[in-house]
Amino acid sequence: MNQSRSTVELTGVGKRYGRKPALSDVDLAFDHGVTGLLGPNGAGKTTLLRIVATSIPADSGQVRLFGRDPHHSHAEVTAVRRQLGYLPQELGYPSDMTAFGFVEYVAVLKEWNDRERRTREVRRVLDLVGLTGQATTRVSRLSGGQRRRVGLAQALLGDPLLVVLDEPTTGLDPAQRADLRRTLSTLGHRSTVLLSTHQTEDVAALCERVIVLAGGTVRFDGAVTDLVATAVGRVWLADEPGDDALVSWRTGTGRHHVVGGTPPAGAAPAEPTLEDAYLLMLGPDAQRLGAPA
Amino acid sequence: MSGLSVPASGLAGHRAMAVIEARRMARHPVFLLGVVLAFVVLGLFLATTKGEGIPVVLTLPLLGAFYIGLTSVIAAARLTSSTDVALEAVATAPGTEARRTLALAATGIPAFLAGLAFVIVLVILAQVQGVTRQEWWFGTLPDWQVWSILLMCPVACLGGALLGVLTGRWLRFRGSAAVAVVALIVVSLLGQTPLLETSTSEWRLWVPWAIFSTGDNADGTQTLIAGNPGAYLGYMLALCVLAVLGAMWHDRTVRTPRFRALVAAVAASALVLFALAATTGNHDNRNSEPNPAGVSR
Repeated sequence: MNQSRSTVELTGVGKRYGRKPALSDVDLAFDHGVTGLLGPNGAGKTTLLRIVATSIPADSGQVRLFGRDPHHSHAEVTAVRRQLGYLPQELGYPSDMTAFGFVEYVAVLKEWNDRERRTREVRRVLDLVGLTGQATTRVSRLSGGQRRRVGLAQALLGDPLLVVLDEPTTGLDPAQRADLRRTLSTLGHRSTVLLSTHQTEDVAALCERVIVLAGGTVRFDGAVTDLVATAVGRVWLADEPGDDALVSWRTGTGRHHVVGGTPPAGAAPAEPTLEDAYLLMLGPDAQRLGAPA
Repeated sequence: MSGLSVPASGLAGHRAMAVIEARRMARHPVFLLGVVLAFVVLGLFLATTKGEGIPVVLTLPLLGAFYIGLTSVIAAARLTSSTDVALEAVATAPGTEARRTLALAATGIPAFLAGLAFVIVLVILAQVQGVTRQEWWFGTLPDWQVWSILLMCPVACLGGALLGVLTGRWLRFRGSAAVAVVALIVVSLLGQTPLLETSTSEWRLWVPWAIFSTGDNADGTQTLIAGNPGAYLGYMLALCVLAVLGAMWHDRTVRTPRFRALVAAVAASALVLFALAATTGNHDNRNSEPNPAGVSR
């Protein structure tokens, strides 16, 4: 027990849904800090997060969380779950529960047994996600973004050592996303935070490390700056869209942002963003995605 | 990496979960509707008989069991399945499904208390207003038999909620609670009606709700149906425990040898109590005095 050094260690992990592989031979390890998972739909991000969150077992390979095998025994998985906060991709709420009531319900499941301490903790996490004023409102009457923040609040109960967040920024407005970044960056100092998102700017702003998944395999694993560096010299601003560009789009200035391919005539090199690097990393897969939103 | 702490779970955590579930039940609109209907119907019934004493008093617990018990099935089933929408978040917390199910058994507390309040109101009104002379009631029946028949109401309400938990755990299709309610009524009616007026009427007692007293017969008498209501009350309670254990059985991690032994022991107790209910107590149906005119107080 506790022989491994990383909070999360995945070795040769595979998962299939029927005949379709969702993850193939994934080797990853995570320690404290915020790691972003990027990848197109169906890349295996949610499957990976669900395995790390002990929601589903891997079909093959080895999963070690805090040095434990979560599916070895009930005691092992319980020990892991005591240190885990998880926001699933799709989280519904019982229609009769208020924001406070739902988070309190999860707090009880997370063994916050003392009523006073539990109440304080629930208020703290609701405050953390900016829902103090909506604590007594039924979740069914909250907006999509507010509901997402209720889910986030329950994941943050007790400042868990492992926080797994599947698309936490969905439905949040820019101010709320900024708040979330602040919260997660603070949490990342002592905890291992894994988040998947389609928002590359969230990863760029928040994560030290980024993993790009596609087709159930790891395409990139490294620092955000390293991923961005792979795009240097491959992004241009031009008057025409590139003929063989991976993707290009007309910007607000009237010029075309060209990613990949050969530079069009008169093109000027542009500072690549994480999104450019991500699209280049995906290669032909990115063409199916089209221009980013 | 920090060492993994092992916080004490135990009774305090379970109590906290149970309080949450009991509160949710007490606020559930379907359950509240059932409670209101039970008292309104009782009030309407008594209003139409004002001044003549309360008739068919030992059949009136059926009103509480019907309205509160059956709506409790629906309310508890909905509460049980309501957290399914948040299953991934809930299931990755340390508490097991069996523990959550056990907490859901607390939905039976408001149901039981509502049924108990119904019976208390009934007894007080019977004391104040009196009962018609031909009634099987205190004085014409041993007190423990009257209390046993009366307490079948709150126990049936408790059982309704626990059946709801069982339904919510095992049946995931839409309308499953309504199906459970219909099944409960059909089983209770078809399981005992053919036997009621036979010489083997005591074997009707396998059903979850058994009749011990008929309404007025054509000659003004009332029939006390055979069987031991005290043992039958115990049988009902055993069925309640079986419902909880059956709901917990849904969680595979709970199916330990000890748990299997517990299920077997409770099932055996239920069989013994059923046998006691059928073979002890009143062996034959008995008619009351055919005198419907007076009012006793």
